[in-house]
Amino acid sequence: MTNYGLVIDQERCIGCQSCSLTCKQENNVPMGQFWNRVLTQGGDHVDTPSGDYPEGGDGGTLEMTYQPTACQHCENAPCVKVCPVNATYTRDDGIVEIDYDKCMGCRYCMAACPYNARVFNWDEPEHRPEDGTGDVAERPQGVVEKCTFCSHRVEDGLDPACVVNCPADARIFGDLDDDDSTVSKYIAEYDTHQLLDEKGTDPSTYYINGEMSPGRPWKSKKLESELDDDEAAKAARRRSGSVENGYDVTPHVPAETAGGDD
Amino acid sequence: MADDDTTARRPVLSSFGTLGRGWLGVLALLLVIGLGAWAYQLQHGLIETGMRNVFSWGLYIMLFVLFVGLSAGGLILSSAPKFFHSQRYEGFARLGVLVSLGCIIVAGLLILPDIGRPDRIYQFVTSPDFRSPMVWDFGIVMLYGALNVWYLWLLTRRDLAARGSRLSLWVSDSAAGRDRDRTLMFWTAVCALPAAVALHSVTGWIFATQVGRGDWFSPLVAPVFIAKALVSGLGLLLVVSILADRFTAFTADRGELTSLGKLLGIFLAFHVVYLLAAERLPHAWAHHFGFWAITSNFLIGDTVYFWLWTGLGGAVPLLLLATPSLRRRTAVIFTASVLAVFGTLFEGIRLVFTGYQRVNINAAPGIATGGEYAGLTTDAWATAGTYTPTAVEIAVTVGVISIGALIVMAGLRYLPLQRAAPDAAYATDGGDRTQ
Repeated sequence: MTNYGLVIDQERCIGCQSCSLTCKQENNVPMGQFWNRVLTQGGDHVDTPSGDYPEGGDGGTLEMTYQPTACQHCENAPCVKVCPVNATYTRDDGIVEIDYDKCMGCRYCMAACPYNARVFNWDEPEHRPEDGTGDVAERPQGVVEKCTFCSHRVEDGLDPACVVNCPADARIFGDLDDDDSTVSKYIAEYDTHQLLDEKGTDPSTYYINGEMSPGRPWKSKKLESELDDDEAAKAARRRSGSVENGYDVTPHVPAETAGGDD
Repeated sequence: MADDDTTARRPVLSSFGTLGRGWLGVLALLLVIGLGAWAYQLQHGLIETGMRNVFSWGLYIMLFVLFVGLSAGGLILSSAPKFFHSQRYEGFARLGVLVSLGCIIVAGLLILPDIGRPDRIYQFVTSPDFRSPMVWDFGIVMLYGALNVWYLWLLTRRDLAARGSRLSLWVSDSAAGRDRDRTLMFWTAVCALPAAVALHSVTGWIFATQVGRGDWFSPLVAPVFIAKALVSGLGLLLVVSILADRFTAFTADRGELTSLGKLLGIFLAFHVVYLLAAERLPHAWAHHFGFWAITSNFLIGDTVYFWLWTGLGGAVPLLLLATPSLRRRTAVIFTASVLAVFGTLFEGIRLVFTGYQRVNINAAPGIATGGEYAGLTTDAWATAGTYTPTAVEIAVTVGVISIGALIVMAGLRYLPLQRAAPDAAYATDGGDRTQ
């Protein structure tokens, strides 16, 4: 079975908010709403650290981490369990999705979600430009909406928009059930944690802290162009999918549906 | 046996009178305003409420919780003695079930303005997920409402028949029929008690099952809901009984009023003193070291809602009812009951606040509140939940509550709520009536 998951390398994240914005654009998210937020862990404001500046010869204690936060696509998703009308459900591929034609807007799921990942259309959604953006139809007033792992893209063999448009390669998408997938390898190799793991929701989103990952399907320290033949072949074997010039161009989605990047 | 007291078969309000008509007019006006406010809210969306993405349940749910609790009093008070084949508090049974019915209808209706797409509420029936506590609650509220309708009719149908009222639905008055009804009442009580326990527990579990919301995730929530249902339900029944006694032909037995007042005091002590301490002591003990640190942390509350509940709505009525010379006065019982209902209201408000005030991940900038987009400079983010109900919400809520009041008024006018003196066979009730 396919079980999609996301690895976010907090050591790589530069807090540029590209994932947040591209998400808004791709998914036609209304004004005043965000499905994907890059939070600053540190000071009281965005992009501010906690601690003291280095003064008088000491090193200072400034500290700041970016915490990109969207729907965690939990395996034991509280929102799915509370939805009285089966509008929120877990797909066979592990993506937690909302049937916007069924949702009656009771907002029990918003009470259930420990991550505040869900937003509600309190009024008629507004878009800029007015006709909206991206490839997803707008959701009506009175329903709850949230990140879908860009299921419309994943179904077309593409990575979620936030993954593709992360300039720091801090986001890696793939199949958690496939031991050879990059996400599985990263989770095995790097120090990862799930957000609020003490709540027992078992999110499909993992965060890397500590050692920085290379942020790409192959784990060599070398760049793509610097790999020797053996390494390239190994990287390619990891996926049975489409191989172009020795490298898997869309390594994170099943081979049979893999298309080109964007 | 059928009793001869025909006055008992008359409604306690023979006509509405000037005062009654004026009151009905006020209720009708509130209902019309409420409907107008709801229409306005349907058109503009829930943006017209004080709720936003962080604080996503407000007044409607707070009062849903209150009215579910309020509906407990009558049904429990009228069915518990029947379960033990006792005639005690029998004089309050019919009025109690009427008040229960009004409250459960108000509770159910309060859900309608809360949901974003009321046109899709049929999904509860066509596409239910039985893992959801809200589906359980939907079922039990429906069942409880139906049970109230059946019970109220069962309690009054022979008297209605004796009066020739069409509300008896072709049931006739006979000695055998009354005997059969007594058996039916026992079996209804057998169903009503667990239904009431289930109603309050399930409503508690809507909150208690949620890992993501602070103090909600506590096994104590369901027992606390039972306790507050007993407090507020009995409180409201006493308030309505005393008002009915004052303004209609309904007579409330003074001895039983005092006895019920004492019972309310016991419920208050259990809810506000014991359960609160039981909930807070373990955490305070685990998190603090010094004796006074432990004590103050489990005795002292943090919000104004807490004090409105435990002080004005808890300690004050408890003291009033604990003093024997005071609780014999109807005015004191009335005041204590009003305060107990008031306190329970704030207990529910506090519960919703504890869930939404703090967010688990509160790093800057927080969560987009989803309010009306008003340009680039607006602060559309929040790192904590805040909530103040809007005029629209209050108008809708008051309108819904007026429906409950209208139901009670209709019952006072058309149902024989005053039960005749119990017949000899059942007069031995432990002698408490002489208290």
